[in-house]
Amino acid sequence: MNLTNTQFVFDSKTKSVLIGGMVLGALCLLLTFIGDDEFHTRFWTNYLHNTVFFTGMAFTSMFFLSAQITAFAGWNSLVKRVWESMSQFMLVGLVLVAVLVIGVWGHFHHLYHWNTPGITDPANPIYDRIIAGKSGFLNASWYTLGTLGFLGVWLFWAYNLRKASVAQDTEETPSFAYYKKQRKWAASFLPLGGFLSTVFIWQSVMSIDPHWYSTMFAWYSMISMWLGGLSMTVMLIIYLKSLGYLEYVTRDHLHDIGKYVFGISVFWTYLWFDQFMLIWYANNGEETIYFRERMDHYPILFWGNLLLNFVTPFLILMRNDTKRKFGTMFFVALIVFFGHWWDYFYMIKPGARIAAHEAKEISEGKVKQRPATSIEKGIPAETMAPTEEHSTDSTGMAAHPAETAEPAAHQEASHEAAPAETHAAPHGATAEAPHEGGAHGEAAHGEGEGHDAEKGYRAGFTLPGFLELGTMIGFLSLFLFFFFNKLSSASLVPWKDPYLDESLHHETGTLISTEIEENHGHDDHH
Amino acid sequence: MATESKKVLYGLYNDEEDLKGAVKAANAAHLDIMDVYTPFPVHGLDPILGLNESRLHYLGFIYGAIGASFGFLTMTWVFTRDWPIVFGGKPYWSVPAFIPITFEMTVLFAAWGMTITFYTICGMWPGVKAKTLDNRITDDKFCLAFDVTSSTDNDVDQLKGFFTQSQAAEVNVKTI
Repeated sequence: MNLTNTQFVFDSKTKSVLIGGMVLGALCLLLTFIGDDEFHTRFWTNYLHNTVFFTGMAFTSMFFLSAQITAFAGWNSLVKRVWESMSQFMLVGLVLVAVLVIGVWGHFHHLYHWNTPGITDPANPIYDRIIAGKSGFLNASWYTLGTLGFLGVWLFWAYNLRKASVAQDTEETPSFAYYKKQRKWAASFLPLGGFLSTVFIWQSVMSIDPHWYSTMFAWYSMISMWLGGLSMTVMLIIYLKSLGYLEYVTRDHLHDIGKYVFGISVFWTYLWFDQFMLIWYANNGEETIYFRERMDHYPILFWGNLLLNFVTPFLILMRNDTKRKFGTMFFVALIVFFGHWWDYFYMIKPGARIAAHEAKEISEGKVKQRPATSIEKGIPAETMAPTEEHSTDSTGMAAHPAETAEPAAHQEASHEAAPAETHAAPHGATAEAPHEGGAHGEAAHGEGEGHDAEKGYRAGFTLPGFLELGTMIGFLSLFLFFFFNKLSSASLVPWKDPYLDESLHHETGTLISTEIEENHGHDDHH
Repeated sequence: MATESKKVLYGLYNDEEDLKGAVKAANAAHLDIMDVYTPFPVHGLDPILGLNESRLHYLGFIYGAIGASFGFLTMTWVFTRDWPIVFGGKPYWSVPAFIPITFEMTVLFAAWGMTITFYTICGMWPGVKAKTLDNRITDDKFCLAFDVTSSTDNDVDQLKGFFTQSQAAEVNVKTI
């Protein structure tokens, strides 16, 4: 085969630019740390945000590649090395996550309210029965296993898959031993990646709001990472082409990746909306508060998320010719990449702000001892009042929770004399939650005066500030540095891949008038 | 959608590459191709036939937009004007609850609209008689057809010579 420029060279100029980016990122992290609150909430949330997002991109590259190998896909053979190299970033991710894990054990950060000492102890004034009920899962050991442990497992698989793939170039046997090896690593990775990723994301991101839970969350956030990885792939391919590499990757390949970006963006919207609608419809106080908080106090984050991640890719990529133009695809990929980074910002910041507020109240001793309710006295949780009863009483709670929910709860508490002891506590709690402005109304501490003052604009929380962008550039540079380094260590073309020929002749069969004219002009020229 | 019958001279090829070669040769000889028939979509055939990009998807978008508006406005009208009912304590105009129906209507209108448009353009409606040249063109043969209704015998002989040259496996005449 006669392919040119098949060996990527990581030149010193690119290296210095990326090192510059990393220095900028480190500087931004340092500046964030210095000008931060006493718990360094902004610093730690930025760190967590970028760690999870960039590691997640590496993970989804591996997952996507594995799915393609398992499905006997052929078109992607020429782009394979890009995904293989991206997936190796999990090694750096392991180190980054280790810092978070050490922070959990050593209580260096207050990202996770469930990690507050004494919160699961009924005798302690800060006792939180909901967190206590979840403490079998929300604890430091599980956190270590769910983030560091599972990431290590994935890295092991990604490492071995790439090893088999690179060795294939030189050592492939006539019986395709190395190809079969890749198939085994890829197929076994799918259940590992699919199931373990849910735990990873529950532990690292969802547990920031420890009272809240959503069964759609793992799907939704993993798809978000996948789109981050896909848009990154598009940008990297176009960049590599501009350097003269990957000439044989045509717009037909780009078209197929573009279809993924389009389709998965719609799927992301589907999951985002499902999560929202189920919670909106069921109207359980402890679930609804998650969205109330974000819609009331972070409207730009909330609606911007939909604009960046749904409206833009949907309208631009709907036409088939836009997916075949390098300029348009780069532009959309950039928006989608930033959009999903924004999405993680939206998931992490509001909850972490509440956690920090609570940590502050605890440290200032503002926590009032609440009289023990019947639940703490040992009455099982099943005797709690069903929530339907509550929501039928409060008409239009979703629209006006603060006004309507409270009287409803009072009414019930006074009407039902006998069961009031068991019912009043959870009802009162859920009803007060919106009033207090946090999901933590159920928590043992008392009325949160001054909560509303805490909800105003704050750079780095309400919207990403310059320090956030700088930090993102730093992490991006780190990611790219590692990626280019890995990419340069093997040929860009998997020479012995059984699907190489198919990939070289890949065409989508799309008929675009302007392209036909272009091609004709091209033919005449020769 | 032509109703008069046509006399068609067609050649059958065993391979799509043979067919593509024959189409190119016919273009070079300035022969007027009526149509080609293949058992599956052959990549790269459309441009050499000089076909243009389909405009069906523009209509698809319009149908979809009509469906979306129809779904959303119907739900709005029903639940705010015609028959307001309180569901689960929600406001009458509950946008999130309308989204699934809006989505379904978009898909329904786009799918049906495009199907009906496509069938109409192709002249396919219930009871229409299939004008098939050869049953094997839905199986393993690739067909290139010329309209010879008003051609002279000399023209037909010339076309037959073309088929022999381009290695057609079989050449037939049929009136459809």
